[in-house]
Amino acid sequence: MDLGAERPDIEPVTERERALAEENARLRRICGALIERVESAGMADGAPYGAFEHAVLLAEQVRERTDSLHRTLEALEEARAEAEAANRSKTRFLAAVSHDLLQPLNAARLFASALEDQALPEAAARQVGHIGRSLRDVESLLGTLVDISRLDAGVLTPDIAAFPVAELLDVIAEEFRQLAGARGLEFRYVPSEAVVRSDLALLARVVRNFLTNAVRYTERGRLLLGCRRRPDGLEILVGDTGPGIDEAQQQAIFLEFRRAVTEPAEADRGLGLGLAIVDRIATMLDHPLHLASRPGRGALFSIRVPYGRRIETPPAEAPPGMHDLSGARIWVLDDDPAILEGMAALLEGWGCRVRCAATPASLEAVSRRERADLLLVDYHLAPGGPDGLSVADRLRRWHPGLGVVVITASHDGELKQRARERGYDCLLKPVKPLRLRLLIANRLEAGSA
Amino acid sequence: MFDAPGSSSTTASPRTAASDSLDPERAAAELAEALAGPGLGFVLFFCSADYPLAALGEALERAFAPVPLAGCTTAGEITPAGYGRGCIVAIGFDRDDFAIGCARVADLEAFALPQAQRLVDGLLADCRRRAPDAEARPFVLTLLDGLSSSEEQVLSTLEAALGGIPSFGGSAGDDNRLSHTHVYAEGGFHDASAVVVMIASRRPFEVFTTHHLRPRREKLVVTAVDRERRRVLELNAAPAAEEYARLVGRPVAALDDGVFARHPLAVRIGEDHYVRSIQRVDDDGGLRFYCAVENGIVLTAMQPAPMLEELAGVLDGLGRRLGPPALILGCDCFLRRLELEALGRVEDASRLLAEARVVGFNTYGEQHQGRHINQTFTGVAIGSRG
Repeated sequence: MDLGAERPDIEPVTERERALAEENARLRRICGALIERVESAGMADGAPYGAFEHAVLLAEQVRERTDSLHRTLEALEEARAEAEAANRSKTRFLAAVSHDLLQPLNAARLFASALEDQALPEAAARQVGHIGRSLRDVESLLGTLVDISRLDAGVLTPDIAAFPVAELLDVIAEEFRQLAGARGLEFRYVPSEAVVRSDLALLARVVRNFLTNAVRYTERGRLLLGCRRRPDGLEILVGDTGPGIDEAQQQAIFLEFRRAVTEPAEADRGLGLGLAIVDRIATMLDHPLHLASRPGRGALFSIRVPYGRRIETPPAEAPPGMHDLSGARIWVLDDDPAILEGMAALLEGWGCRVRCAATPASLEAVSRRERADLLLVDYHLAPGGPDGLSVADRLRRWHPGLGVVVITASHDGELKQRARERGYDCLLKPVKPLRLRLLIANRLEAGSA
Repeated sequence: MFDAPGSSSTTASPRTAASDSLDPERAAAELAEALAGPGLGFVLFFCSADYPLAALGEALERAFAPVPLAGCTTAGEITPAGYGRGCIVAIGFDRDDFAIGCARVADLEAFALPQAQRLVDGLLADCRRRAPDAEARPFVLTLLDGLSSSEEQVLSTLEAALGGIPSFGGSAGDDNRLSHTHVYAEGGFHDASAVVVMIASRRPFEVFTTHHLRPRREKLVVTAVDRERRRVLELNAAPAAEEYARLVGRPVAALDDGVFARHPLAVRIGEDHYVRSIQRVDDDGGLRFYCAVENGIVLTAMQPAPMLEELAGVLDGLGRRLGPPALILGCDCFLRRLELEALGRVEDASRLLAEARVVGFNTYGEQHQGRHINQTFTGVAIGSRG
């Protein structure tokens, strides 16, 4: 059939034939128009209708792609929400478990310390020493776990202040000089007079982790702790002559549960969490980390800390043994009877006169009859009642000279801040007897001065 | 002054107001009283073409300066109280909630991709500079001269430059006189122009389009056209008006807007039908359309389904997805309004529109994602909270 033909092949004669021929001609015209349209479809010739058709097709494509993108995004969002929920529940679980564990551990540490101070037969004294060290290890592992979960959950807020870096490094150097010596390693510490701005506790954790690793992996040779002044901050360095770390492994060691290949023969109790914490803390404090290492030659870990302005340094502390606490009057407020008992044993062992109270009301009753030099108060008291800070505030109204030490399991920087504003000291659970003793001694001196 | 039922037009943003005063000074003063404030950043308005436009423009500039204005003439207004006629309605956008850029395309013929790209880049930069925050997302409102016959190319070009930015709009009207339609920007009314307004906000929003027309069995093939003037000369190889009159069962002399509204024709592309609205019957028996036509396109006869019920369903859906909208800016084809008037349902429609907080105007054609469409309700719903 010739679709292009203008006229029909036959000449219509009858009316009906004429009508059919007419219709035939129209159909050919329609056919022709459709053919023209079909053949010019998709041509980018700028014709207005073509532009419309093009826009429709484009919008349809965009709609389809947007739909599939939405579906993908929804699936991703769902997966993210699930992961976040799992993470939150992990953090909550860890926080709850660690809080529950810290309480009895705190009590056990206090009891063990009280025991150590007593005159015991040599064998018993050695065992008590072992118990004490084991408890310290448990505490440090627990602390590490809690810190990791806190850092991941973003609840740990840094407490930034300026301090002389020597304040931090002198203590750590002393600690690790002994540890290194016990392993037959030479330990070199180069003190610095620089003042830095950081969170002292978190930075201490980083440096300790560097050193712990260095001690753990270095079989012979020496360790170095020192600082290098850089234009944009003080670089705190820890070097060792250990096995070093492959370039390929230098990123991986900052992940959890990774250790360098060379395992030391002896048992070690680390969980392999150390550098993962370092990485998180450094990220949070915005202190850049650096690692330089050549396999077989050793490793040099460093963290760069911004400079701070020098503030008044407190008078040097006398060594702990010099403080005489005998006769100090101390109030202890904690809603946990085991803690009260442990604290009483410890403080009385140092010669203090101790008043324990489990509720604010009973302590206030005591405070009407007696006076004290110092209040040790747990921040988290029984739910529904006042917190440790407000109890301390009330007692200070009647006893303006009362020193206050707030004890808390929370690393909340804001709480520390609030305590500091009032002139109170803050101690983290579990309470370390040595630090408590130093603090009490300082307080008493400040009070009598 | 109209007052939206139950709306607190002074505190919510965007604020809306209308004036039925025919005196430009008074109308401008009434709008300014309702909308002006230290936070006001931009004003959109839609007005009857009956106003003395030059005087109205000057009065509005005086009332709102230095706040920029954009708008167009209409084939009927949608005020906070529903359908209006011979009046002016305006929307005030607060600077804190909305970052707005506005540009005019003065030469529609010369609007090619490089110009479009420059225009879009400029608007994006304006929005970014004024953006209340980085989370703000943009959409685009286009207002075109409804008698310019260049909507398709302008929109297609603009869409290419906009990329994924949602866009919609309407063609300016003039109360069915088909003689002078204008858009307003840069301090004055213009014909043969387009206004492009980019609005960025962190509020949730949704650009949408809907119509209530369903396909019938009959098909008409366009067999002769006058492309430049959007005229269909023949349908099914017969004079266009005659063939259309046969389809709707009326004499050619009886074909008017009311018939066109109730018996629309649409092209089908993929699964969707796009109505191509008839503007009028020409003396030579051809049909003039509101949109581009082409030889060989197949027109499907359409029939209306209940309009307000369909619209209510769409408005409900928007409310479910966005929460109660603070504003729906609607471009409503004037043929829809004609149909409602013929059915005596204008008051029902006004109630529905007012309750849904719709403000806007009756168009000579709508725009959605670069497509020039007819006989639809097209707009954006803006949620109340960011």
